[in-house]
Amino acid sequence: MITVKNLEKHYGGVPVLRDLSFSIEEGEIFGIVGNSGAGKSTLLRCFNGLERYQGGSVTVMGKEVAALNEAGLKALRRDIGMIFQNFGLMGRKNVFENVAFPLRIWETPPQSFREFLARLQFWRAPSKEVTDRVMEFLELMGLADKHFERVQSLSGGQKQRVGIARALALYPKILLCDEATSALDPNTTMDILSLLQSINSRLKLTMVVVTHQMEVVKRICHRLLLLDKGIAQCLGKTEELFISSTECLKKFMEDDYTLIATGTNIRLMFMSPREISQDAVITTMARDLDISFSIVGGKLERYLDDVLGFLIINVPDEHLDVVFCYMKEKNLHWEVLGNGRDNVGRPR
Amino acid sequence: MAEIMLDALAETLLMVSCSTLFSAAGGFGLSILLIMTGPHGLRPNPRVYTVLDIVVNLVRSFPFMILMIALIPFTRLVAGVAYGSGAAIVPLTVAAIPFMARLIEGSLLEVDPGVVEAARSFGASDRQILFRVMVKEALPSIVLNVAILAITLLGYSAMAGAIGGGGLGALAYNEGYIRFKADIMFCSVAVLILVVQCIQSGGNHLYKKLR
Repeated sequence: MITVKNLEKHYGGVPVLRDLSFSIEEGEIFGIVGNSGAGKSTLLRCFNGLERYQGGSVTVMGKEVAALNEAGLKALRRDIGMIFQNFGLMGRKNVFENVAFPLRIWETPPQSFREFLARLQFWRAPSKEVTDRVMEFLELMGLADKHFERVQSLSGGQKQRVGIARALALYPKILLCDEATSALDPNTTMDILSLLQSINSRLKLTMVVVTHQMEVVKRICHRLLLLDKGIAQCLGKTEELFISSTECLKKFMEDDYTLIATGTNIRLMFMSPREISQDAVITTMARDLDISFSIVGGKLERYLDDVLGFLIINVPDEHLDVVFCYMKEKNLHWEVLGNGRDNVGRPR
Repeated sequence: MAEIMLDALAETLLMVSCSTLFSAAGGFGLSILLIMTGPHGLRPNPRVYTVLDIVVNLVRSFPFMILMIALIPFTRLVAGVAYGSGAAIVPLTVAAIPFMARLIEGSLLEVDPGVVEAARSFGASDRQILFRVMVKEALPSIVLNVAILAITLLGYSAMAGAIGGGGLGALAYNEGYIRFKADIMFCSVAVLILVVQCIQSGGNHLYKKLR
């Protein structure tokens, strides 16, 4: 469906994408993962010509994107739907009009001056064809009853559903998702992901998903490409990469925190976010024990064994025993890092 | 007194409404050119943009009084005469077009680039993006700016008295101030205040409705 060969892109001398080569098969959900600034959104925009590239080639459905003229590019974009982090909906239009907009853009231009005048009336009712198609997708998104509502009054998840309906309105063959769930809360994210998954299997749509959220990748992507500073770090089937737990993937999820050389670095794992917010583990521990420690870093994300997040703290060596006792007592999950003293402590 | 007041009001309204209409149209066209050729525009063209930019700034930096006098030959060419309310519309429009263009350019620049990108992603052309996305999204803000323009023109129109434009401003100055008729002065100012209020609240009302 999409073939990328030795792709190079730079913004005024600064390389953004470096020597990328991979291909995306028809019907699969392909993930492009990386931290912000890795160039993943730029890469995605090379597929539908929103970004130009300087070297290599991007072939989408048999066409070289860089070689297309304006009309060719427009035709290509018609076959590629796209959804965005901030939805990109028109705030002054209602749900129906937002979804109908691509159809209106692509409707045949007026053939006569009279027809042109007739179309100028903005109260003009949409054709039955347009109405049917919009309602079909709004129903699929569970928004049929909201079609007259203004976009501004919708929740984030609903807005993204409108975005998806709009992206599908032209019956595209590929759907590009640019951080589509990053602005949504965890529950809504899951809803949108299952929706995307069902669209993929029902409509046989090829999807390219750009994200920095590991849970998104784990949940829906068949294959993934990990990007760091525009360079491909690893490429493969999601399960295989996760099970073999390749070095690069590990590194992406843990980041390389500069561990503090003195004292002991301990990684505290959180099985659910409640532990952090409600019980305030870190601050409670500091207060209960009257010990100060530094927080080295952390990340709240879903990982293989359902850990939702971790925090790395640095404890002065003289207080180590007290801290260990405390953590055992509170049933916390932790792991000592660095200095070759990797011993995992799990009380249960 | 009521009669002269009404006459003056009619002259003011004629000058303001006509010049607002013409300069809104002209300014809209100019702002489209600015947006198209601007650095982040749909068809960036630094040379054209720089020229337009300089011309806009040039006209805007003229004191209206001087501009009006400088434009007398042009006014005579367009309106046939160089004095009177009708003739005053010409310099008012010329002075307001660049101002309007800047205001509308600002409104259009405020449109969320994400919306523009989304429109482009499903194959909208430059023209469709400009008129069916940007202008449509910016419409409430443009309306509000037209109200600001009308109020500015109301202020300018008072100066048009200098070329015999008449109107409330001229009445307040010539009759009220020069001839010590305090009542006329106060009345004209009161009516001007009312007109400004009407324009602004009308603009606000439309803005809320359109948004």
